[in-house]
Amino acid sequence: MNNLEKYDATFVDTLMVGRDALAALKYQDVEAWDSVGHMQLMNALEEAFGIEMDIDDIIAFSGHEAGKGILAKYGVQL
Amino acid sequence: MNAPLRLDINGLIAHQRNRYPVLLVDQITEVVPGVRATGRKCFTYNEWFFPGHFDDEPNVPGFVQIECLTQTFIMTFLCLPEYKGMKTNFVSADKFRFRRKIVPGETLLIDATLQSFKRGLAIGTVSSSVDGEPACSGELVVAVPEVLSRFKPKA
Repeated sequence: MNNLEKYDATFVDTLMVGRDALAALKYQDVEAWDSVGHMQLMNALEEAFGIEMDIDDIIAFSGHEAGKGILAKYGVQL
Repeated sequence: MNAPLRLDINGLIAHQRNRYPVLLVDQITEVVPGVRATGRKCFTYNEWFFPGHFDDEPNVPGFVQIECLTQTFIMTFLCLPEYKGMKTNFVSADKFRFRRKIVPGETLLIDATLQSFKRGLAIGTVSSSVDGEPACSGELVVAVPEVLSRFKPKA
């Protein structure tokens, strides 16, 4: 599984959304991506990629697309 | 590691927000903040739920047992000074098993272990016993909304 597949799988597993909805997905677009879901997603991504994100990046992580740029700061190329 | 603490009922009231009739642990016999807690709940027939569960066979409802264990679990992090007195919400209660009926006059001893506490999301395991016999056990995820709100993306 490459990094993009792992990234998408983390969204699908944590937020229970279909892969076809990921590209445009933003915070609070689906019920599962509330404040609790956001923290579960951040924890799952940190575990999947072996990173620890700064508070500012967690707050800036507002969508699937935005998250790609944030993970790049931690050396995760998608 | 933080030093172990012991909390009587006043200490419990100071550290968490549950109150009568839903404060369902009497004493925290030992807590190592950020690591684990042990608690005690003594049941008498004066509990509000016994007459309704059931009038001919009073025993502690499962949801009350889960709450007893959860209230012990939350002390693992609410005893850290920065989280003292914060309100908590259930995220999930999984793999709960009820191995023994608990009746008036019995005392539930509870063990809670905090596996992870990160940015307002606490994950852990809980187990309990009565007279040395296993009672209720399971896995919990609990949120601290006040902490979670610090990490929300801006709308």
